[in-house]
Amino acid sequence: MSDLVQAANLLSLKTKAISLKNLCFSYGQERAILTDVNLEIAPGESVGLVGANGAGKTSLFLTICGILTPTYGEIKLFDRVIKPGQFNPEIGLVFQNPDDQLFCPTVRDDLAFGLENIGVSPEEVTTRIDAALSLTGVTHLSERISHQLSGGEKCMVAIAAVLAMLPQIVLYDEPSANLDLRARRRLIKFLQASHETIVVSSHDLELIIEVCDRVVMLNQGRIIADGTPQEIMSNNSLMEANGLEVPHSLIHYHRDREFGIRDLGI
Amino acid sequence: MKLVLDQYAYLDSPLHRWQQDYKLVGLLSLIFAFAFIQNLWLLPVMITITWILFSLSEIPISFLIKRLRYPGWFILAVVIFLPFLSGNTPIFQWGHLIIRQEGCWDALLISVRFFCILTVSLILFSTAPFLSSIKAMRSLGLSQVIVDMTLLSYRYLEELGEMLTTMQRAMKLRGFQPKRLSRRNLEVFAQLTGSMLVRSYERSLRIYQAMILRGYGCQVNSKKNYWKLEINRSNLGSLLATLTAIATAISLIVMQVFLPSF
Repeated sequence: MSDLVQAANLLSLKTKAISLKNLCFSYGQERAILTDVNLEIAPGESVGLVGANGAGKTSLFLTICGILTPTYGEIKLFDRVIKPGQFNPEIGLVFQNPDDQLFCPTVRDDLAFGLENIGVSPEEVTTRIDAALSLTGVTHLSERISHQLSGGEKCMVAIAAVLAMLPQIVLYDEPSANLDLRARRRLIKFLQASHETIVVSSHDLELIIEVCDRVVMLNQGRIIADGTPQEIMSNNSLMEANGLEVPHSLIHYHRDREFGIRDLGI
Repeated sequence: MKLVLDQYAYLDSPLHRWQQDYKLVGLLSLIFAFAFIQNLWLLPVMITITWILFSLSEIPISFLIKRLRYPGWFILAVVIFLPFLSGNTPIFQWGHLIIRQEGCWDALLISVRFFCILTVSLILFSTAPFLSSIKAMRSLGLSQVIVDMTLLSYRYLEELGEMLTTMQRAMKLRGFQPKRLSRRNLEVFAQLTGSMLVRSYERSLRIYQAMILRGYGCQVNSKKNYWKLEINRSNLGSLLATLTAIATAISLIVMQVFLPSF
């Protein structure tokens, strides 16, 4: 292997896509929303963020993106310290409610919105829009009115609008909320095929199991656990203590681990 | 893309074929000329021009009447007192009630100007999709902030209406009778209004966050696509129509200046 490739590999191992150090956040004098959050996510990782309602998942996402100003701590994206309020094109956030981020009349206009803001040429805008629509499988919706789409269509269009900006990190806030089974399955397949660094916050633990190879559990603004989906989410006492339940697909995994049952390979 | 606002925007009349940015320049110049008119001799000219434009637009008269109804009540409230209050030349007297000539002419002038300006404005915005009008205004120099505000209002007004409908249904399903006038009902309406305001504020905050995350407000090297005058086969008709409208407007102003007053 050449020195250059080796150096690139070493660099990618050292460079963290997201690095949070002692991150704290609260709204004014109210109780802390995030407390001493330390987290590192490598490029290309798929991380699931789980926790009960009010655990601080959305606030964490908004803080990482620079929308909210942390009261303490440091946030780095690819080793660059980010300043609150600064626009960071390398990171994108897909909101829980796609209607909150589909604000242009047509789908095509929505995808062009961000690209025009960053000064992309009209030809490049068209190319990127077509690529994003194709990637998310919604090319046929390009001239449709955004707010007249179905829930699943809005979800994929919202994702396409973020992906058109070519972010290296994508945060998904409850992406499967309000999706029917077919749309949900489509979303899972899409997330499984993603090449970006993704962080998925969801109450849909089955989706987390299928998509993510690492899970971080949040409770009252603190990271409680960090590990593989099987390790974290099959731990019944851990899940219950943090307002969650063992997902159905891991119940046998949990039972087998508990009773030391081995797979006999029959 | 057809919405309620664009009810007659997709017809195929000469005015619909007139490109929106050229139409904006032409009809706006006519509107300004109409506003400049003070001479009563020019009122029939204004009415004729307006009638010609309306006929060419192929918009139904019922649509015009519907749109002019509420502004019409407003202008009536303004002009109805003019014959009694404005001027010195009485033309009719009944006791203390005096109808004055100058007041009658002023009422006529204001009413005709109002009718013509509003009709031409209606033609301008009804003969093209709303979005085309906004894009044309932007290309002619309208502030980006106003354009964004208008587009966002257009986008979310319908949703706010749906939210309100859902809340009203939920209230009815729990026995609320909105038609009864009582103190409690008024309190409920006030709470509903407050709730809508808070929800729309929170919604707008989330939308703004989403816009910032996609670079809004930090336009880098953004090319402003201002209107450029281009003469080619496809827009020759629009250009000629615009020049005709501008020439008509200028003629009206010249006539206003040089014609003797009524």
